[in-house]
Amino acid sequence: MMIRGIVRISIYVAILSAILILLQELLGTDPKALIQTTLLAMTPLALAAAGEALNQRAGMVNIGIEGIFAISAIAGVYMAEVLGNGYLGLLFGGLVGALIGFIMAVVSIYGKADQIIMGMGLNIAAMGITPFLLRAIWGFPGLHLPPKEVLIQRLDIYGFQISIVTIAAIVIAIALHIILHKTYLGLWIKAAGEAPEALDAAGHNVNMIRMITPTIGGFLAGLGGAFMPLDFFGSITKEFTAGRGFIALACVISSNLEPMGSLGFALIFGLADALAPVIAITPGVKESVPYQFILALPYIVTLAVVAIAVKGRKLPRALGIPYSRE
Amino acid sequence: MDDSGGRDRPYISMRGIVKIYPDGTLALRGVDLDIYRGEILGLLGENGAGKTTLMKILSGFLRPTRGLIYIDGKEVRFRDPSDAINRGIYMVHQHFSLVPSFTVLENLCLVHGRGFLTTLKGLDLDIVREKAKKLLSVLGLDVPLDIPVENLPVGVRQRAEILKALFIGANVLILDEPTSLLTPYEAKELFRFIKELAQKGAAVIFITHRIREVIEVTDRVVVLRRGLVAGEMITRSATPEKLSELMVGGEAIVRREIATSERNILAGKPILSVRGLVVLDDLGRPVVKGVDLDLFQGEILGIAGVEGNGQSELVEAITGLRSVLKGSVILNGVDITNKTPSYIYKHGLIHIPSDRDRLALALDMKIYENVLIGLQRNPAYHHNIIPRIINWDTVKKAARELIKRFSITAESLDAKARALSGGNRQRLVIARELSKGAKVVIASNPTRGLDIASTSYVRTILRELRDRGAGVLLVSSDLDEILELSDRIAVIYDGKILGILSREEAKRVDIGLMMGGVQAS
Repeated sequence: MMIRGIVRISIYVAILSAILILLQELLGTDPKALIQTTLLAMTPLALAAAGEALNQRAGMVNIGIEGIFAISAIAGVYMAEVLGNGYLGLLFGGLVGALIGFIMAVVSIYGKADQIIMGMGLNIAAMGITPFLLRAIWGFPGLHLPPKEVLIQRLDIYGFQISIVTIAAIVIAIALHIILHKTYLGLWIKAAGEAPEALDAAGHNVNMIRMITPTIGGFLAGLGGAFMPLDFFGSITKEFTAGRGFIALACVISSNLEPMGSLGFALIFGLADALAPVIAITPGVKESVPYQFILALPYIVTLAVVAIAVKGRKLPRALGIPYSRE
Repeated sequence: MDDSGGRDRPYISMRGIVKIYPDGTLALRGVDLDIYRGEILGLLGENGAGKTTLMKILSGFLRPTRGLIYIDGKEVRFRDPSDAINRGIYMVHQHFSLVPSFTVLENLCLVHGRGFLTTLKGLDLDIVREKAKKLLSVLGLDVPLDIPVENLPVGVRQRAEILKALFIGANVLILDEPTSLLTPYEAKELFRFIKELAQKGAAVIFITHRIREVIEVTDRVVVLRRGLVAGEMITRSATPEKLSELMVGGEAIVRREIATSERNILAGKPILSVRGLVVLDDLGRPVVKGVDLDLFQGEILGIAGVEGNGQSELVEAITGLRSVLKGSVILNGVDITNKTPSYIYKHGLIHIPSDRDRLALALDMKIYENVLIGLQRNPAYHHNIIPRIINWDTVKKAARELIKRFSITAESLDAKARALSGGNRQRLVIARELSKGAKVVIASNPTRGLDIASTSYVRTILRELRDRGAGVLLVSSDLDEILELSDRIAVIYDGKILGILSREEAKRVDIGLMMGGVQAS
């Protein structure tokens, strides 16, 4: 099992290296810079997707990741500035996400609300709340630059820059994989999604499990949201999320609800995200293809990957269905 | 209790149990029940008598509205199934409580590790496997531990469920209609096994509506009727007639009408003919594997079989709800293979589906609106002057007539279909479908979940239809129903028709064997 995993990961690394060398030949991109950007772009996707994979395994759905991204980003930057500490800002962003996830869970479990509609509502609400808060807090509707001191410092490993949050995202994906497949909690989560009545009959609390996973998922999405302005971009703009919450959902579905798989797909989408601006300014491409089209690349890649990967995916039987004992 | 003559004190006593569901249904009206160690107690009653509700209360799934439970004379309160499990009470539900995608071993882990402290603990697969193997060898059972439950036959799933119960150390085992999905052979095995369990000192509660099984396996029987105990007796002194009388009360018991069928049904061309039909299930596996059937005018052709042998897919394929992979369906000379349901209905076929709440009714729409389903394109219900606009007055008039003719008990035409009882819902479906005036009727488990009165009403209607010259294809997992109504009986097993018998040559034993996959000689 272990050896197979290592072989698989080596194959992925080999493929990725080949792509990078090819890109260097074709476009003249610096592989190191490209990897650095790719990992940054991967991080929020990986965090949110790993959490949502766990969540959907328990039969819950949160399609409001985009909304959580936006709201917790603002909350995170605000707290970072108030406390003068970027890490506390990240944590606060995560807590806001967890709170949103928890509230949505309670409403859907006890109020029997439709989770898809709630998620949609959250996304739409966030679209309005973001510019409002930008204006209300900082007075600028379009753009806010947090002071340099609160931004997260990147780690420098022999000249290779990597964010500590990226490392955390990878560790979290691995941890969630172990929880899901090796521990009792994971067994309960899977049972809650596949056959909640069986979990109940075995003497477990279905609703408890189904409140834990959205809270974890919300926390990770919130962390990813706060990561973007505090680390990735170093700024916050009106529509900075740019559909990344939906791309995270694409990672979840493509990976067949596996936290580790989500990490892999987040890497692919992160690469597309990092590559788009590079391709857009490449001589030869710049003149012939409108740059707007190139910037749409991450979304086109998402569409293509989901279209291919989604085939034969088996979702939990009780996904999105509230549980009650009749 | 005095009438149990010199026995020990009851292990469990339930006293004055009342259950009112949130929607106002009064399921139990004050039930007293005693359970002794080492006995097999039959809980007999019709659908809706309250058997399952009573046992769900004992197993912690439901809380009683009023009433108390005593174990060994001490009062207990169950908030959750886990409280009951801790007391050794486990209920095997009719459709089982196993996670289908898990292996049996993983399902056992689900009951092995409980409580907050185990949350992040690694799965104890080895410990559980050891314990399970030991139990299996003590019990003399055979259950594969490493195969996902969904790939196991129903009988094995049930054994896995019982293994789970014993794994947690249950000494009170509740079985809800345990034989409803089993072949006769599997049922025999189950009976042998629970008798052994009872001899070892466990209490087994056997919920059923099949009188024959109660007499075969139980020591004592309690009959419930409409949420009350109608009677209690030691099984040795019980007769089927007595139990049946207790079960249905003063109402007349349906007598089997065996009208000699003198119609020469096999003359002439079949009105519905199915040739070499192959149909896939939702997962893409073939479940109907080459079925040939001919239905003639003026007959009821019964399709008997244990549920899950391709009946429902066969019906869906004939009625246009599922695509046909191979083969053909000819209705009255018209090829209806892979045609839309509305095309098929137009050519004279109606469908009384098994899952009426989902396929035949819109429960949250009004009764008269439900009467129009499938008839919305019929000009008779349209406005005189403006074409294609529905004239609701006409619809209401038609609905009123149907309600009267089929004696449907409904508060008003404006009530939602959900407000109707199961029996009245089925009457409404049948009333509407018959108003379409069809030549072929596909009826799938038409009396499932109905009370005695509605059951006999539905059966009478099916007979009338046949007498008026329609062809009726009756698919039912209730063998008694098939034997009572059918002129010819086809037995389906594993997606194939194993044989077609005429009523005269049909013997219960043969059909039972064929339902279990054994070809009768």
